[in-house]
Amino acid sequence: MKKNSLFRSLLTAAVLSVISLSFTSCDNEDSGPSGAYAENGVFVVNEGNFGYPTSSLSYYNKGTQEVQNNIFKKENQDRPLGDVAQSMAFHGDRAFIVVNNSNKIEVVNRYTFKSEGVIEGLSGPRYFVALNGNKGYVTEWLPSNPDWSYNNGRVSVIDLNTFTVLKTIQVGLQPEKLLIAGGKVYVTNSGGSTITVISTVTDAIEKNISVTHGPNSLVLDKNNALWVLSSGFKNWQADPSTYSAAALTKIITTANEVTGTYTFPEVSAGASKLVQSGAKDALYYSYGGKVYRQPIASESLSHTMVIDKNFYGIGVDPETGYIYGGDANGFTGDGTVYVYNTEGTKVTEFRVGIAPNGFVFN
Amino acid sequence: MARFPFIKVWLLGCSVVLSHVALAQQPDSARHQLRTVEIFGKPAEVYAAGSRVAQLDSSYLSTYASGSLAQALQARTPIYFKNYGVSGISSVAFRGTNASQTAVLWNGLNISSPTLGQADFSTIPVTSFGDVAVQFGAAGAAYGSGAIGGAVLLSSPKYTSKGLSATIQSEIGSFGRYFGNGSITYGSSKVQTSTGVYIGQAANNFKYKDLTQIQTPEARQENAAVAQHGITQDLTWQLAYNTKLALHGWYTFADREVQPAMGSAANNARMQDKNLRLMAELEHDSRWGQTEVKAAYFNDYLHYTNTSTNSVADISTYQLQAEQTYTHGKRWSLRGGVNLQHFSAESSGYAGEQTENRASAFALLRYDPSSRIKLSLNLRQAVVEGYNPKPAPALGFDWKFYNDNTNQLSLKGNVAGSYRIPTLNDRFWIGAGNPDLKPEQGWSYESGLRHLFILGNTLLLETELTAYQMLVDNWIQWFPDATGRWRPVNLFRVASKGVEAGTKATATIGEAKLSATAGYTYTSSEQVKVYEGSGDKGKQLMYVPHHKAILGADATYKGWSVLSNLNYTGLRYISNSESGYLEDFILLDLVLSKKLQLQKSQLILTLRSDNVTSATYHTMAYHAMPPRGYTFNIRFIIP
Repeated sequence: MKKNSLFRSLLTAAVLSVISLSFTSCDNEDSGPSGAYAENGVFVVNEGNFGYPTSSLSYYNKGTQEVQNNIFKKENQDRPLGDVAQSMAFHGDRAFIVVNNSNKIEVVNRYTFKSEGVIEGLSGPRYFVALNGNKGYVTEWLPSNPDWSYNNGRVSVIDLNTFTVLKTIQVGLQPEKLLIAGGKVYVTNSGGSTITVISTVTDAIEKNISVTHGPNSLVLDKNNALWVLSSGFKNWQADPSTYSAAALTKIITTANEVTGTYTFPEVSAGASKLVQSGAKDALYYSYGGKVYRQPIASESLSHTMVIDKNFYGIGVDPETGYIYGGDANGFTGDGTVYVYNTEGTKVTEFRVGIAPNGFVFN
Repeated sequence: MARFPFIKVWLLGCSVVLSHVALAQQPDSARHQLRTVEIFGKPAEVYAAGSRVAQLDSSYLSTYASGSLAQALQARTPIYFKNYGVSGISSVAFRGTNASQTAVLWNGLNISSPTLGQADFSTIPVTSFGDVAVQFGAAGAAYGSGAIGGAVLLSSPKYTSKGLSATIQSEIGSFGRYFGNGSITYGSSKVQTSTGVYIGQAANNFKYKDLTQIQTPEARQENAAVAQHGITQDLTWQLAYNTKLALHGWYTFADREVQPAMGSAANNARMQDKNLRLMAELEHDSRWGQTEVKAAYFNDYLHYTNTSTNSVADISTYQLQAEQTYTHGKRWSLRGGVNLQHFSAESSGYAGEQTENRASAFALLRYDPSSRIKLSLNLRQAVVEGYNPKPAPALGFDWKFYNDNTNQLSLKGNVAGSYRIPTLNDRFWIGAGNPDLKPEQGWSYESGLRHLFILGNTLLLETELTAYQMLVDNWIQWFPDATGRWRPVNLFRVASKGVEAGTKATATIGEAKLSATAGYTYTSSEQVKVYEGSGDKGKQLMYVPHHKAILGADATYKGWSVLSNLNYTGLRYISNSESGYLEDFILLDLVLSKKLQLQKSQLILTLRSDNVTSATYHTMAYHAMPPRGYTFNIRFIIP
């Protein structure tokens, strides 16, 4: 009897796998991506309220100008995305959504947003980048101490075939955004003043580059120069006289050396959310609660204010150059996304989910 | 740590006084009564004619004696409670306002946490007070700051028995619940004293469906255990025929694991509350009327920890209230008084110890031009350094315009101004100071019809229909500024309006006593003006149900009694944009009890089932609540 049921389950498994294989091959025969979210559009990551699984993803179709909210929940049997969606990254056919206070990364098909799996066992994950289809890296803060201070964070190396953690690498305090350039992972340690450089071959730290205190975001420009934005030292518990100014730091990735530091004038003003134009020749960021643009060709800080408004998230459309700003609306209601042309004139606006903190363009 | 010896000293003092009085055996003198209340009705209504007041029956409260005030009120009043899971904070919302816009008074003095501006109803056990009245609307502003949406008035029991009496009860329930309490009361013509203790715990390890996981697997609730204990001590002493001294002591301790939302990282959050409340009350009658002086010391200690937080708030509050009531004939009553408060606060979020003083003066007038018309006029003015609120006036009337043998019809109305002083956190939190912050101001208008139908001793039917409109301006909420720094701001003006209908029937047929109560409220509460950010004008505020209805029924026959509560709560939005919501739910509770007479004593056996239908419901987003549970309670009363 027992043998018989084992045989039956084996047979069922075999039949199922054949069926699923045939479906997979059908998909592969399609030319180009297809799916509800494959068109020319932008995804908005809505962080939600801390402590509640109220984060969500919105999709804005640039062609039809229609907004669809809660797309993850809609495509996944009404399952909520989780508690604090910090960021989303694409690689190949997949989207990786880092859900900070659920300690997980949701992996979905980037065209259908149907779940492909969950990477669990993380601790305060923030940002993710994939090297290829097999390996990715995620920054994690780890829990803070009871006095709200932090110990060193880590970068976990993820096996993208099994969705398991292969290795953890201790980095600096509160590691934030990261990117891969020239076979190396560059990690901003936002609680300190270094960029950690990790080899993607050995997954070991190669170097720590000193920058201005509080590096939180970075981009790689068209000349393969790395631009790092630092907030300067700011702490609500500390005396404002101990604060230091924010700055942009330029790093040449061939030598991993700092070649320029552009310090911002106002010491009390913070800076964050560095992004760049589609041509990778202009930097956009938030400084003192306004959006500024700095051309990469400039040898000094020559930035101009583009939008006189504070945003919780900033994105630049690589195609049109339009600037997207997410307004968190005090976290009590749905946020609004404002769209501006390169001159800073508002083009449109639309409502999304709670606390829009980032944009990913198709 | 100095608190525990303090309790011992307090108890010791009480017992010394008690034995002294018992030995002296002073002659009887008529028990003193408040003349004003005798003439003008329920305390909460004397100077608030036309306002809506609901009182919970003492027999109903005794059924829920092992529960929290939140449980008792949730089942029988149309007030909405936000329970942050089964073990977390339970906060109240009246007429579309929020918890800090509700005043909670104990024997007439405000006991809301000075740091948060609200009271946690899950740490107030039903055993620790005698009566609870719920006053809707701003008429309660006569009691001071915070009574914008309504007020919950707790009072110590009125002891009338002579000699020694005692009660002891023990309870066991589903999900690892145990509860026990005992009280002992002694009364003579001169002195009444009572001591009560309770201890309870619940593991709250129930099973629920985890809606945030693929395939919604069943999970067992973790980090939701609760342990509570406390003591109450009351002493009233008739010093002379016209002078009475009362001492009230109340200590509650709660150690709770804070239940996380489904799918949120486990952070081992834990909260320890210790609340000590001591009060001395002196009443003296003279030809100038009644003089009442209350002095109180409260200590509120809250220790919150999780994997990344360790925060302590320890606040001492000193209050002094003196009032004089002059009653002229049977038509006029005038009360005037002052209230002084001193706060001394230490908190992990403040730069060292912070203090604040508040003062207010009030004048309350009640005039009954005829036996059918009651009028009241109040004025209160508070003075707080940096935050002087506008005066809070109130005008009310109650006109019994029809009266025959069986029917009485009254028209009521009330207009009241109210205010709320910013909390100590609003004022002192490091880096959050906002010098432009103004107190909240409220205006409420209400009018209602009350119908009484009396059929001799067999049937009493009491029906009330109220409509209200309310404006709350300078609504305070923490909001990030342009640099992302969170601080309190006057965020919006909210308009709320609604209808409240309630009816209560009591019938006696032979040996059977039946009573039923039904209530329904419609609430609309929305932002009408937004001072910062984009806001969400014209949308229902989050966690305010449009509809709530309750149905309760009790029947007693020959020592048996059956009680049921049915509670319908409509859908609630979980953000101010009406985008996400929690489904509506119906909860049914059933109670069966049997009273056995053992000579003079009584033994009461009670079996209760909460959430009989095992409904899945949430009062805060994705915080699991228990399925059907049972409790068995045994109570022994020595009269």
